[in-house]
Amino acid sequence: MLTMTNVKKVFRTDLVETHALRDFNLQVDEGEFVAVTGPSGSGKTTFLNIAGMLETFNEGTYQLDGEDVSHLNDNQRSKLRNEKIGFIFQSYNLIPDLSLFDNVDVPLRYRGFDAKERKKRIEESLDIVGLANRMKHLPSQLSGGQQQRVAIARALAGNPRFLLADEPTGNLDSAMAQSVMELLKEINKKGTTIVMVTHDPQLATQATRNIFVKDGQVSEINDVVAMHVANG
Amino acid sequence: MLELGPIFRALLRNKIGAILIAVQIAFTMAIIVNAVFIIYDRSQQTKRPSGIDEANTFFISSSGFGDDFDIKGTITQDLEAIRALPGVIDAIQINAIPISGSGSSMGLQTKPGAEHDGTGVAVYMVDEHGIKALDLELIAGENFAKSDIRWRGPAGSKWPAKVIVTEAMAKRLFPDLSYSEAVGKTVYINDVEPMIITGIIDKLQAPWVGWDNLDNAMLSPEKMEFQSTRYLIRTVPGMRDQLMKTVEELLAENKSRVVDGMRSIDYVRERSYRGNTAMIKILTTVIVTLTIVTSLGIVGLASFSVNRRKKQIGIRRALGATKADILSYFMVENFLISASGVVLGAVLTVALNMLLVSALSIPPLDWFYILAGMLVLCLVGQAAVFGPAKKATEIAPATATRTV
Repeated sequence: MLTMTNVKKVFRTDLVETHALRDFNLQVDEGEFVAVTGPSGSGKTTFLNIAGMLETFNEGTYQLDGEDVSHLNDNQRSKLRNEKIGFIFQSYNLIPDLSLFDNVDVPLRYRGFDAKERKKRIEESLDIVGLANRMKHLPSQLSGGQQQRVAIARALAGNPRFLLADEPTGNLDSAMAQSVMELLKEINKKGTTIVMVTHDPQLATQATRNIFVKDGQVSEINDVVAMHVANG
Repeated sequence: MLELGPIFRALLRNKIGAILIAVQIAFTMAIIVNAVFIIYDRSQQTKRPSGIDEANTFFISSSGFGDDFDIKGTITQDLEAIRALPGVIDAIQINAIPISGSGSSMGLQTKPGAEHDGTGVAVYMVDEHGIKALDLELIAGENFAKSDIRWRGPAGSKWPAKVIVTEAMAKRLFPDLSYSEAVGKTVYINDVEPMIITGIIDKLQAPWVGWDNLDNAMLSPEKMEFQSTRYLIRTVPGMRDQLMKTVEELLAENKSRVVDGMRSIDYVRERSYRGNTAMIKILTTVIVTLTIVTSLGIVGLASFSVNRRKKQIGIRRALGATKADILSYFMVENFLISASGVVLGAVLTVALNMLLVSALSIPPLDWFYILAGMLVLCLVGQAAVFGPAKKATEIAPATATRTV
């Protein structure tokens, strides 16, 4: 599903060169739920940006769903992002001026679906997250947990192969965080591959696999399912 | 029009800035469209031909003094001498200069009696050289003969038996006849004095450029036995300036009079339409200033809106928007604001025009000025928003994952 080989990302300013990722290697298979953890500044977010094609990288190769994305131009990356990836952000990143319906509609419009198809998908995905009855509401009228559910609905509406979640529960209290995690696990069970960046080891254990990133490299890969089985 | 609906709904939730810009566009449009129309109207007015050979014609005024000043003799000699000058096509004594601002008018009517209304007409007293000196075309009837010309004394109030009128005047007097059928008809001046129309000339404007009856003019076969006199001289092309000097010197040879004024018709036109020229300059400045101010307003609002929505733009990019999608978002948003502005602007334009029609007596606006104004203001809006919108496309998709 996702294969990164020797990916390097360097940020340069006039004074300093920062190696955010160095020889980053990772393979995520279809249907996995991978949690990426690591300390601040370890390169988690850079990895997420590159995985989501929000940023380019300097060296190495990255294959998404069998396609080498290293040499795609800006428009091609936008298109691929829209079709294959659903994003869930820490601060929900809903557009405050738009109703829930219009928020979920944003990626669908960029995909070019017709109005009927979009309406069907929006209603279905808001139904999955339990907010179908609040379509006309604005994000500011919802709690944090509900807003994150809308963001998940938006990520799901395009029916992506792959969900990228950036600290999806970072702004939520533990009860809400757990309900969002349950939702993600459910989505994963239905076959969607999920990569979640988090600094919370507790949450990470709920994924099927943990990756620990340090100094811009993958330093540890734990198979959580195997660990659970081994620990009986 | 990819996102017309959501853009419109988002605008409604942030309407203050958008409404202010739309209102500004509306007022700008109302003022600009009316200003352009006034400029067009005034410049058309300024361009109206007077009917005479303006580029090659000048006039010179002189006043005789002393009891023994021989008016008739001087005028006869002057005209003979001037007409004999090389480069002079013809010269006449005349009571008033077309489009100069001063002259005399009378009323002509088709039936005698004070109970009938007359039609206003500018009076030019000329001899049989009048048509040639003024470069007029006789389109019906005949010119005055030398024997038709009479002398009018300072106290004279009677009118000659013949008159030549412009085609426009003939049509006003006899709206049911063709202009050539007006030849031979009797008209009345001073309510009861008959004059027979003996000729029709194509075009000759009155002295007053703001007069409604500007094209109503008549030639009366007279010379004036006045102490002050005015000659109008038409020259071959290129000789006017030189002949102005020659004629002035010629008249100055007679020590019993003073030359008290000489001007080209070009100067007369420039002076008569100076108000229009000034108005055109002022209105052009107003148009340019308003367009710049409105454009800056649009640039300001768009830049503010791009800065405020940096994160949102990053999110849209992350969710699959291409740079072109972002560009079109801001262009469409501006179009919606401009479109509502110009619709309101169309109403204000008509209202302002109605006000101006009654206050400044300008004609009512043609509808296509409003359409053109709407189109131009929308284009100005699109041009103004392009810079900030282009800047918005440079916002990186990764902005979405930054927690600021």
